[in-house]
Amino acid sequence: MKNRVSIDQLALMYILLVMGGKFLTLPSLLAKDVGHDSWLSVTFSFVWDGICLCFLLWAIRMNGTAKMDLSAILDNSVTKPVSKAVLAIFFVIFVLRVNVLLSSCYKMFSVTFDVSTNWIVYVLPVAALSFFAVSKGFNAIARTGQLLFGLILLSVLALFVSPFMQTEWGALLPLGEAGWGKILLTSYTRSFWFSDYIFIYFVLDGIKTKKHVFAPMLVSFGVGAFLCILLNAVFVALFGYLAPNFDLAMSKIGVFSAASTTNGRWDWLTLSIWLVSVFIKVVVYTFCAYKCVEKLVGAHFVKFNWIAAGIVTLTFTLPLFVTTDRLLDTVIKWGIIPFTLVQYVLPLLMPLFTHIAKRRTEVAHE
Amino acid sequence: MKVSFDRFQKLWRGQDDFRLRELNCGITLKVACLDTMCDDAKVSEFVLQPLAYVVEARSIKEVEQKLAAGTGVRQPPNLFAAVEDFTNGYTLVFDEKNNCLSVDTRTVVGRSIAEPPTSMVMRGPREGFVEDVKVNVTLIRKRLKTPNLKIVNLAVGKYTNTAVAVCYIEGIAEQRIVDDVVQRLQSVKTDGVLDSSYLARYLDINKTFLFRRVGSTEKPDIAVGKMLEGRLAVIVDGSPMVLTLPYLFVEDMQSPGDYYENETMTTLSRTLRFISVIASVLLPALYVCLQVYNYQIIPLRFLITVLNASEAIPFSPLTEMLLVLVVFDILREANLRMPSAVGISLSLVGAIVLGDAAVQAGLLGAPAVMIGALSGIGLFTLPDNTLILSLLRLAVTFIGGVMGLLGVIVSTLWIVVYLCSMQDYKTPFLAPFAPDIPEDRQDAVAQISVPNMKKRPRSIPNENRERRG
Repeated sequence: MKNRVSIDQLALMYILLVMGGKFLTLPSLLAKDVGHDSWLSVTFSFVWDGICLCFLLWAIRMNGTAKMDLSAILDNSVTKPVSKAVLAIFFVIFVLRVNVLLSSCYKMFSVTFDVSTNWIVYVLPVAALSFFAVSKGFNAIARTGQLLFGLILLSVLALFVSPFMQTEWGALLPLGEAGWGKILLTSYTRSFWFSDYIFIYFVLDGIKTKKHVFAPMLVSFGVGAFLCILLNAVFVALFGYLAPNFDLAMSKIGVFSAASTTNGRWDWLTLSIWLVSVFIKVVVYTFCAYKCVEKLVGAHFVKFNWIAAGIVTLTFTLPLFVTTDRLLDTVIKWGIIPFTLVQYVLPLLMPLFTHIAKRRTEVAHE
Repeated sequence: MKVSFDRFQKLWRGQDDFRLRELNCGITLKVACLDTMCDDAKVSEFVLQPLAYVVEARSIKEVEQKLAAGTGVRQPPNLFAAVEDFTNGYTLVFDEKNNCLSVDTRTVVGRSIAEPPTSMVMRGPREGFVEDVKVNVTLIRKRLKTPNLKIVNLAVGKYTNTAVAVCYIEGIAEQRIVDDVVQRLQSVKTDGVLDSSYLARYLDINKTFLFRRVGSTEKPDIAVGKMLEGRLAVIVDGSPMVLTLPYLFVEDMQSPGDYYENETMTTLSRTLRFISVIASVLLPALYVCLQVYNYQIIPLRFLITVLNASEAIPFSPLTEMLLVLVVFDILREANLRMPSAVGISLSLVGAIVLGDAAVQAGLLGAPAVMIGALSGIGLFTLPDNTLILSLLRLAVTFIGGVMGLLGVIVSTLWIVVYLCSMQDYKTPFLAPFAPDIPEDRQDAVAQISVPNMKKRPRSIPNENRERRG
């Protein structure tokens, strides 16, 4: 009951997750790899995301009233050890994503907003917020997203309008200058930032399915993807060869907004509103990491489990020991294949796994 | 159904207001009443006079028939019920065989119906609930002339035996909610219930420590309006506040006069209330964290004004703002407890003199005082949650002052998640916004005209969605 979520709430949450986080360090990293073709790389990533999402939605529709969660589906279709391995990989993905998001925000606060604190003081309130939300269930998180969605979308649009008007679109030409192979390879190596739909795996058992599952989710995917591609295009078009040097895309783009020192940097306020989506993303991924721990230990936490929360919180301290850049390099070097498997191969197999699991459960009941 | 007279009499030994008369009407009858709770005229008219003409009664049944002038005559099933009736102002008639009758002779002590001071309206009915449960039920029944209006009567409190009436409209209110509420009230174990707010705490399922989860109103038209949407009204004897539930946060944004004004004006007023509440909670925090960390956001000229006004202040912006907010809260609290004759003038003098003197003395900056006052006044647009919002405002300001915008964002998200997680009686607290229920937005912040409200809100569980039958 606490984790019940409607398709509409899921769709809105998906847009927030697509927008939250992709406007921080990713645009500059992509620009570093493929220059002004970074938006093409983002487009390719979203094309693959879209295909995987369709398969996942198909699985959701098949799951229907069976209300099996990811663990149940994998346990009943492939073996339990495989299921545990998949959950372990997911746990690592979520923990890393949370850390990358938090360190990008940390940089944003210290560079843009002049608030310099140490990592622990910064992370503790966010962790407290995340676990408070986790204790209230995904239902509360989804409603929060639903409530703040309009405001966040408005803030993104407000930040976009003025830079969009000033963009010289000719700066994006010639297309594919970095080489199509390199652009595609970048899509693959930077795939860690994409496939935001993976949170859906952990709310599968709570989704209130209705007749139209595809339409709201695909619309939200379309809007989110369009905004991300547009921002990347605007960013590289505005900053040209300087783009790789600007770590925090969203805060730099604000320079082109209507705000000025004389009128006040109102864009910072809108930026702060957009940052809410980043924190919502952190909360959602923390929820997923917590669920991974729950499933990995093979328990069902009726009440909030402090030990599981403690384990996840401990992982928030990773940036104290390894820099985020180092972390990302290691991820690309060692984790890209297992990550790709669960991010991009698993969704394609989900309808099949759901079908098998459903059949086996029905047979077991008979 | 015997009630021992001897045991009954022992209970009242040594009580001065206990009156006992012995009459002979063929059988010996003992008539007992509480002088302080009974109306002498009613005792005489409905009990003593009819009995004076009876000469040959053979049983209590015959006596009951002779007491036809009294409207409320009944046989209490046991001693407990007899004592309950007796303490409520009923006169008890006992025969020699311990048969007992109770006759309604309650005295009406209380103020007359008047406009409630907390819900004054420019247009619309001016009647308000009073402290008498019977009058309050009458006020509701006067507006709901239907046999579908059902009332469940209960007595709560070991010593106070307070009469509680749960009112609902059969066919509209969901029966499961009614049963749940009645069961909760029946299971209340307490010495006494002195006001409806006592019961509100028992009816709050999740025992939330911040926001109120049970609505209250002093106006019968509002109570009836809510009942017509599927809610229940809980009337408590001794309290002019009638509880309504399930309760939504958005109800606090609605004013009693909203339904008697033009819908455009109502929408405008509600939008203003909504903005003022958000601004009241966030403005002091934003002022502090912008001044301390992110002054670039403030336009240059305004920044210069702020800096000029606050350069001689001996406190940090955070301390200054917290001081202003605390002083404002002290003034508000004192104003509530002052006699009304001097309250307004003293609070005005307090606010003006204190504020002006503090600015003149260089203790507080004028912008901080202005923002504190603006935020304080803004909170009163949500009268039922003023205190809790004031507390949250202090917390958010403190966190914003310490952690800057990060603190404001995290604490605001915390509050929003908390509000979104609340759900009592199958009703999400933030409906119709979270979860989004488009049909119910017709009477949330924006309001459509009453003739166009054809459906009852989905946020409130009900058995009939159509407003016209």
